[in-house]
Amino acid sequence: MGNILIAFVLALWAYIGIVLLLGPGVWFNEPLVSGLFTGLIVGDVHTGLVVGATMTLLGLGQWTYGGATIPDYQVGSIIGTAVGASLGGANNAAAIPAGIAIATTAALLMTQLDVLGRATTTIFIHAADGYAEKGNDRGVALMHLLGQLPWGLTRFIPVFLAVWLGKDAINAAVAAAPTWLTASLKTTGHMLPALGFALLLSMLPVRKYWPYLIVGFVLFAFLKLPLIAILLAAAAIGGLVYLQQRSAQVNV
Amino acid sequence: MSENVSVNATNGVTTTEDGVVVLPKSVVNKAMWRHLITLQWSWNYERMQALGYLYSMLPVINAVYTTKDERITAMKRHLSFYNTNPYIGSPAIFGATVALEAQKEAEVVDSLKVGLMGPLAGIGDTIIGTLLKPIVSVLAAGLVLGNTGLEWLAPVLMILASVVAMATMFPQYWTGYRQGINLAREVSAGGNVSQFVELATIVGLVVIGGFIPSILGTTTGLTYTQTVVLNGKAGTQTVPVQATLDGIIPFFIPILLVAFAYWLIRGLKLNTVWALIILVVVGFVGSLPALQIFK
Repeated sequence: MGNILIAFVLALWAYIGIVLLLGPGVWFNEPLVSGLFTGLIVGDVHTGLVVGATMTLLGLGQWTYGGATIPDYQVGSIIGTAVGASLGGANNAAAIPAGIAIATTAALLMTQLDVLGRATTTIFIHAADGYAEKGNDRGVALMHLLGQLPWGLTRFIPVFLAVWLGKDAINAAVAAAPTWLTASLKTTGHMLPALGFALLLSMLPVRKYWPYLIVGFVLFAFLKLPLIAILLAAAAIGGLVYLQQRSAQVNV
Repeated sequence: MSENVSVNATNGVTTTEDGVVVLPKSVVNKAMWRHLITLQWSWNYERMQALGYLYSMLPVINAVYTTKDERITAMKRHLSFYNTNPYIGSPAIFGATVALEAQKEAEVVDSLKVGLMGPLAGIGDTIIGTLLKPIVSVLAAGLVLGNTGLEWLAPVLMILASVVAMATMFPQYWTGYRQGINLAREVSAGGNVSQFVELATIVGLVVIGGFIPSILGTTTGLTYTQTVVLNGKAGTQTVPVQATLDGIIPFFIPILLVAFAYWLIRGLKLNTVWALIILVVVGFVGSLPALQIFK
């Protein structure tokens, strides 16, 4: 596929991903899924999955509570995968760290466009007010359906431009980078999920329930249990707390 | 149909003997699909999901109200602020209000929306934000980053989880539709909501405690030298700090990193963007080959 066609297909995927999230919440916009799709399109699935998995972990705990803007890791993983794959993917030690660095930067820059998109949709609800006043239900419906445009285009346009025009420039810059730079970038990339976990914890009442956090840590770090065992233990602990609360209620 | 059931010829709305208005199945279905597919398409800062709610309710409004003035009043009512968890919560609220709007219970509908969107957002955001997304994300990312040979399974797992979550939206809607006002009573009666959120939080914390060391493998390349006496001869020996740390507590650097990031967010009250920038700068400088604080 030509570069411009690849850019178009990836941009369309970004558009569909955000619109699906706004509807039934099917996670096509998850960085890991977008990484896979991008990997399939550019012919390097492994790079897509690694960049996507890192972005997914970075996004842990970043739920758009009440409509807050968070970095756009979907757009990040699409652009980062395209760059990482064109640098040679697994065959070039610098490729995937560079892809992750580009993905993180793109995700951060996207917060500006997300705010722009969310603000622009306000126009449509004001227009809908006008149509409702006149009893024009078709006008109201149209305003709602058009609301997807600011959301979708603020993803479509940057992906299209970055993949179509930006890739060569980024590639040239990365190719010229010394090894100490890419080695440090790689280590930094592995540290990013720490922020994801911290954000997740900051949403939770850690000060009140800290013992449960330690239990989970001990299960993995000292007892070396597999993750599925930890999930089961967590469910069992939740069940025990529930049973205890219920018997306490009965006894009162 | 019995003689006591009146049928409005133009829109198929029927009324039973005891005065309950029954919408045609096609209208109830159409409303459900509109809510499922498009609720947040016009999400905006001012009234958030309001316009999507009105769009989903339009088939009902057009079926129930016959005069233009009635329809205008109904449309304007549904343009007021609305926001809740769109996947877990909103389908039930919407189903209940569809049933009540059919009875022209305007005030009940409006107060139901306002009364339920808060508590149900609490449940929905906890299930998805604290349990479903973190668990699926970490399991999936672990398959990729852990060199398990099963990396293709990771995105499949994610899509499957989201489809399963979506599948719960249908029974939520139909339960809401059939229960109507009872749903509101159940939710507002209960300490059930806060108990559920508490249990989900506990399960989530155990899982997160185990997932942090499973994902973060950062170590330190720092060393120190100590004097040792070997075979009667004094000499110096280089000891990696990591080996000492492992002897005390495994995964010490990952704990430190998460604690540092947590402090940036909660202690210094930085937003995500600044916390990320600081973590990247500290991480990058610390991992320079000359320093090797992180490896």
